Amino acid sequence: MTARRHIGKATPRPDGPDKAAGRALYIHDLARPGMLYGKVKFSEHAHARIRSIDTAAAERVRGVRAVLTARNTPELRFGFLRDNLVLKRDKVRQFRDEVAAVAAVDPEAAAEAVDRIRVEYEPLAGVFTPEEALRDGAPLVHEADPQGRPRRDNRVPLRFHHESGDLAAAERASRHVVEGTFSTPRIQQGCMGTAGCIAEFDRRGHLTIWAKTQIPFLAQRDFTRFLADLGLGERDVRVIVPTLGGAFGSGLDTHAYEYLAILLAWKAGRAVKIVYTREEEFACLSPRQCTVTRIAQGCDAEGRLTFRRVDVLQDNGAYTSWGATYPSVMMVPVTSLYRVPAVHFDAQIVYTNNTYCQAMRGYGNPEVNWAIESNLDDLAHAAGIDPLEVRLRNCNEPGEVTPMGLKVGTCGLRECLERTAARLDWPARRAGPSKPVAGVGTGKRRGLGLASLCHVGGSGRIYRSDASGVVLRLDDFGFVHAHYGGVEMGQGLHSVLTLAVAEALGVRPEKVIVGPTDTAHCPWDVGTHASRGAFMACTAVLRAADELRRRIFELARAAYPAEAEAALARHRRRDPEYRPPDFDVAEAARSGTFELQDGFLFLREAPPEPWLRVELARFLRAVHFREGGEMLSAESFVDPPTQLPDFERGFGNLSAAYAYGTQGAEVEVDEETGEVRVLRLVAVHDVGAVLNPQTLAGQMYGALAQGLGYALYEEVLSERGRILNPDFRDYKLPTAHELGMPIELEFVEPDEPAGPFGAKGVGESGLVPTAPAIANAIHDAVGVRLYDLPLRPERVLEALRKRRV
Amino acid sequence: MTRAAAGVPRCAPRGKRGAVATSGFAYHRPTTLREAWRLLAEHPGAALLAGGTDLLVRIRARELQPSAVVSLRSIPELAGAAAERGGGLRLGAATPVADLLRRATVVRRYPLLAQALRVMASPQIRNVATLGGNLCNASPCADTAPPLLAYEARVELRSARGRRELPLEEFFRGPGTTARRASEILTAVRLPAPPPGARVLFHKQRRVHLDLALASVAVLLRLQGTTCRRARLAAGSVGPTPLRLRAVERFLEGRILTEEVAVEAGRLAATAVSPITDLRSTADWRRRIVEVRVRRALVELAGLERAGGAP
Repeated sequence: MTARRHIGKATPRPDGPDKAAGRALYIHDLARPGMLYGKVKFSEHAHARIRSIDTAAAERVRGVRAVLTARNTPELRFGFLRDNLVLKRDKVRQFRDEVAAVAAVDPEAAAEAVDRIRVEYEPLAGVFTPEEALRDGAPLVHEADPQGRPRRDNRVPLRFHHESGDLAAAERASRHVVEGTFSTPRIQQGCMGTAGCIAEFDRRGHLTIWAKTQIPFLAQRDFTRFLADLGLGERDVRVIVPTLGGAFGSGLDTHAYEYLAILLAWKAGRAVKIVYTREEEFACLSPRQCTVTRIAQGCDAEGRLTFRRVDVLQDNGAYTSWGATYPSVMMVPVTSLYRVPAVHFDAQIVYTNNTYCQAMRGYGNPEVNWAIESNLDDLAHAAGIDPLEVRLRNCNEPGEVTPMGLKVGTCGLRECLERTAARLDWPARRAGPSKPVAGVGTGKRRGLGLASLCHVGGSGRIYRSDASGVVLRLDDFGFVHAHYGGVEMGQGLHSVLTLAVAEALGVRPEKVIVGPTDTAHCPWDVGTHASRGAFMACTAVLRAADELRRRIFELARAAYPAEAEAALARHRRRDPEYRPPDFDVAEAARSGTFELQDGFLFLREAPPEPWLRVELARFLRAVHFREGGEMLSAESFVDPPTQLPDFERGFGNLSAAYAYGTQGAEVEVDEETGEVRVLRLVAVHDVGAVLNPQTLAGQMYGALAQGLGYALYEEVLSERGRILNPDFRDYKLPTAHELGMPIELEFVEPDEPAGPFGAKGVGESGLVPTAPAIANAIHDAVGVRLYDLPLRPERVLEALRKRRV
Repeated sequence: MTRAAAGVPRCAPRGKRGAVATSGFAYHRPTTLREAWRLLAEHPGAALLAGGTDLLVRIRARELQPSAVVSLRSIPELAGAAAERGGGLRLGAATPVADLLRRATVVRRYPLLAQALRVMASPQIRNVATLGGNLCNASPCADTAPPLLAYEARVELRSARGRRELPLEEFFRGPGTTARRASEILTAVRLPAPPPGARVLFHKQRRVHLDLALASVAVLLRLQGTTCRRARLAAGSVGPTPLRLRAVERFLEGRILTEEVAVEAGRLAATAVSPITDLRSTADWRRRIVEVRVRRALVELAGLERAGGAP
């Protein structure tokens, strides 16, 4: 393999300048001629029958063009289990339920009209925790399923289960067993760009929707079906994805506001834009699920794991999104993080009258990792073995097949653990008891902790197709236009896409132009999720670039000599004294080997004369502008060698590669106030080959910030279904200040054979083990085990008080 | 200058039915106090706008729907700072926080206030939010209140009928309520000369850097040797109004500052406050913060930690 020219080199991202200068166009910036503004009327109860809806006053507001309720709209279902209605008909099941929608000539008129809609409710008793919802005789969130069959309880009809090994025997044979119950909160994706869309029909009745989505093609399918359900028959739906201000999983589903924009646009005959305010984003967009995980792990006298039992209770909220399938990913770490011979996993997903939840970065992994890695530290303490040592003794190895049937290719976990420990000076620091910190007030102790993860790193098949495609089109000027169906949402996809095209084709990165994501121009793509964007984009690019090179070299046999002669002529005009070497260009072109590098076409055997390096642009024009001319493009479509697991049995090789990593933290705990200061974060991740170090660092820093937020600050608070902190005033994300500690990143780079250029997916890994690493460090510092995220100081202080009793 | 404008822009009247217009408010920007008072008299229920960082948020959230908004942003006598006879300082009520932080007299002579202003909200908000607005909003967590209480600031209220002055402590009446009458405008905050040689410390307990105070403590000490000659303490977010901790002051004044005294002062402070549990924190934890932070402030200001081992 020749040395890489672009892949692996720190390169600024192509979308950076426009974003930094405020020139990038987000949904908030877009407008269409004659566009109306839509606004949604949300429920004022967590659970209630709708007695009546009076829209008369709303319709009289000046500038209002359409008012929709279930009374003047057919029943339209959507969602992963189609258990959600675009407009609620008989009852509301959560505070944010959509009961009406308005379109008006400006946002103020729309807001005024929504305010004037009067809805009469008959409040119903609700259920607000999974435990409450599972009780006999609990009020039913859904009395019937989408097919109209009566439902008897609040269980969501999705089953995720895994059993392997002889659990009972393994449990009996264990020398040490430690149990615990761990919880994680609802958190918000916290996108800087709030949710929104513009829907517009043309006069033929075809729909274009500018949508904030990570799944343009699955969304296209949802909207197409919706238009058919609406009675419009077969309509073309075009989904265009504008610049996204973050998505983090919030774009993995289609949302009621999108269907409402479509309905309003149809009704009013004008484009309709709905953009959520920050408060709506918090209160009316789905957050990450909250979970309760019961876990037990056992080991023998040497600290080798004997079994792992994990039962997850997941609060679904009132409706079901893709995110309900978190347990499909939870299975990966539960069965396959460290070597465990016997595993039990079960997940119960329960309807409640809370806000319904959806996907977020990590997709179930951080939730169970919190339990596994916290509990594993306790097991190590019970066995009297250093937590690092326990992890090394159970470390995953390359080439192993895990109880879930995951076929591990490369695995750098051992190196991740060792390098993290070395950076933390682990052996020396962990030897003695944690030392109090001298200084004002005292009461402060320091400690070290670490935690690891494994995650899908080679896409993840959770849908019938796991495919992506790319179109590469060469223009007359040597630019390569790449059309990829996946979504740049801030993670740096276009950066690696650019480098991959430059590397694989042999052009300069500046000559690569990534087109907008648009279902009308891009090949089908299942979506940008499961850390698959870069992995799939690069895989698809490699294939398409290969085809382009093959065609260029084929054409070059006949077309290259004339271009080289022309170049020689130009060279001689500049330098009349020049004597070319004795080299038969025509003969070499017939039998030699062509190469394309940095946008120049040449023969490998040729002497290094500049005129023998033909500019790609000239060559392309030569083969275009002639009789029987040709323009070059190539399309590839790749469905990776992944399996759609049998989730009820918990078996199947979900991904083509697996990513690993270890994170370490040093913390200082104030024993008088419970405050936790993270003094240092270390993150060593097995990412396969690094594609762009700059983008990768950005991904990791961002993920660590989210991991830190999950660990210490973030929580969507609610009281009987009502969200109490729908704003940044009381929903606290870490600021630059909280991230002021040294953050050390290191990468372990095994050459992953399944990955493009040897790379694995890394979009999610960085936030998975941060919380348990911090909690384990707190335990090291002050000797208390914490079970509930976030680790607010009030909670830490409470645990410290109990320790003293 | 009075300019009627729509706070919420009114759309062109082109609806077919067109019966109801969107609600808005009249906006007035007087340039003299006299004009402002007249507008207040003409528009009962008018809201006063200084920085707008609290008011506009509440209007947008429809918590407030005033028929008129009277801006105080163009009245020259409400802005700026001026030295007063006797060594005090008069701060115009509509002076933005960032402006105060640029004034050497504020930063050098009233460092406790400067410490609080620096951690108030974000730079963008500090550029527009005003001192008077922060006080009139009367939030228990107002960052400017504890240091001003410790400096024993007074507020000046003026109406068409006259002028009165109150100690800041008497200005606050409860969450969101003050002694200001509807016809009055808070025109200035008057700071007496700072005690010479005072040592000060403001602590704001936050969830993350950009936050409202979960609890705050302002401590001002004047020591003679190790004896406390003067103590002024105040706390925020731990009662219905910002609180002056007089019991702690009385306990400290005249005492030799030792570790034991600092511990006892912290305990006294914790009993003097009456925090609540809300979504930001718990009463119990806030009380603990007051106790610990008052004690640590005294230890630090008296230099006790250097004397070997802190309490």
